[in-house]
Amino acid sequence: MNSAIIFGLLIALMLTGMPISIALGLTVLSFLFVMTSVPIEAVALKLFTGIESFEIMAVPFFILAGNFLTHGGVARRMIAFASSMIGHWYGGLGLAAVVACALFAAISGSSPATVVAIGSILLPAMVKHGYPKRFGAGVIATSGALGILIPPSIVMVLVAVATGGSVALDPEGKRVLSASVAQLFMAGVLPGLILATMLGMTTFYRAWKNNYPRMPKASWLEAVRAFRDSVWGLLLIFIVLGGIYTGAFTPTEAAAMSAVYAFVVAVFVYRDMKLTDVPKVLLASANMSAMILYIITNAVLFSFLMTSEQIPQAMTAWIKDSGIGWVEFLLVVNVLLLLAGNVMEPSSIVLITAPILFPIAVSLGINPIHLGILMTVNMEVGLCHPPVGLNLYVASGIARMGITELTIATWPWLVTMLIFLAMVTYIPEMSLWLPRVLGML
Amino acid sequence: MFLRILDRLEEILIASLIAAATLVIFAAVVQRYALGVPFLYQLVYHINLTWAQELCVYMFVWMAKFGAAYGVRTGIHVGVDVAVNMLEPGPRKKVVLFGLLCGALFTFVVGTMGAKFVIELYPTDQVSPDMEMPRWIIFLCVPLGSYLMCFRFLQVAWAFWRTGELPHHDPGHVEGVVESPAAARDVAR
Repeated sequence: MNSAIIFGLLIALMLTGMPISIALGLTVLSFLFVMTSVPIEAVALKLFTGIESFEIMAVPFFILAGNFLTHGGVARRMIAFASSMIGHWYGGLGLAAVVACALFAAISGSSPATVVAIGSILLPAMVKHGYPKRFGAGVIATSGALGILIPPSIVMVLVAVATGGSVALDPEGKRVLSASVAQLFMAGVLPGLILATMLGMTTFYRAWKNNYPRMPKASWLEAVRAFRDSVWGLLLIFIVLGGIYTGAFTPTEAAAMSAVYAFVVAVFVYRDMKLTDVPKVLLASANMSAMILYIITNAVLFSFLMTSEQIPQAMTAWIKDSGIGWVEFLLVVNVLLLLAGNVMEPSSIVLITAPILFPIAVSLGINPIHLGILMTVNMEVGLCHPPVGLNLYVASGIARMGITELTIATWPWLVTMLIFLAMVTYIPEMSLWLPRVLGML
Repeated sequence: MFLRILDRLEEILIASLIAAATLVIFAAVVQRYALGVPFLYQLVYHINLTWAQELCVYMFVWMAKFGAAYGVRTGIHVGVDVAVNMLEPGPRKKVVLFGLLCGALFTFVVGTMGAKFVIELYPTDQVSPDMEMPRWIIFLCVPLGSYLMCFRFLQVAWAFWRTGELPHHDPGHVEGVVESPAAARDVAR
């Protein structure tokens, strides 16, 4: 009953279009005020200490690092590198778009920014080469979402933050720890590569069937030069992953190091940015991070309310009694997250749903890392599926196409993504193999 | 005039905090590794940076509170606007105003709770574990930031009431892509 009131209130407040953080906080305050005798002071303390953890601070650092390198110049280097490698295959520029999107999105950490940066450069080039505009727009709108899955990924940090510290028992009643940032980053590598390959295969197949043009093969010299130009940006991924894996840095330290590294590369190596542009980047990053940290604060409050009302426990018990297995459960989770992906942005969805899903999933014997990767993939698909995927909107802006036309344009890649989602859901080894081989499980 | 100064101060504060936090953690990591190098050890062994993590966390907490207020002004706090945008202009205006005023109400309540909390903490001598900074100074960001955010919500609501316009944040803004025709030629060669 109480859970119905809480969720009803939350949904009603959210439908007015108020910021999700405010809707969460207001739900908690009004529920506690009206329905319970929980002292408000206990809640107040949560509001102040909710984000007092060093682990969460990886979020602003990664946003800062990404913003330093979210620049047209970096996008152009990634495109040049990608097209010198695979541009001479069928659908060369399309394949280059997939690879460039994957690389740029991983570095910049923002899917819509990737669609704009890569799209506004590559799309005119593709049209000029004689590709249909739909083909180009479809590739870029969907590939732009790849970055969420390839570390460093802010969504994964949020999964770790949202589930960290909560108590979950596996089917035998043993306590299971939530997935750490390091585990999720490593687990994301293989699925990220597989999805990029699958999107590439779809692109290749469509291009081969319709006989789209190929690029002249780049000479060795050109390829080496393009690689040398792009390698400074790409090293960021290796600094983060390598630093965390070898234990040189904690994830938050790795994020801070990558922010300093991105600053040096953007200002002194690539020189895309002048020193006088730096305050603008700092302000934009502070703005974005404060928004996410504010959602985290209120989501912590919300999950405090959930726990004090025993809602995750009740749901866990109910699902166990009803005899639902992990196969059906994950199907429901996928549908739920895809629906949520239509109306909310990824960080809010993860912060609200992860604390509820985590104990249920663990009680059904699902590995927390597997759940984390599955949620991340859902966020990715949610960005590009109609009617309201953010990537579709951004792409329709740069391609000057309507949402309906763009939806038709993206469907081959969207179907590919859904197949991939099914694979990630029902083949746990895809997410677990690499962390296990690296001894991180 | 006063508003312009407030806007500026807010921007300078949050941009400096994120920069400073980055440098502090960078320095702490560099110092830790410099300790392992014999000839650098002499230079850095007396510098104690164990408080770096704590300082970083508090700087980010301050940045989060004031940045959230700045975010109201830039329109970065997004909500679920699908249903609202389907309404007729008249009802839509009312619903959006309701949302903004709820924001003002919530931040006012939080600010007041924070103020009470700080006042209660002030006479105690609680300090933070590493830096031993008085806790009430650390928590001062809660009332200050929340009241500022409340003010921003009222400001946005007032502007929306008068002009019907909301601040809008563009998630797809990227520097350096305006010259795309030239760039397209480069790729096309």
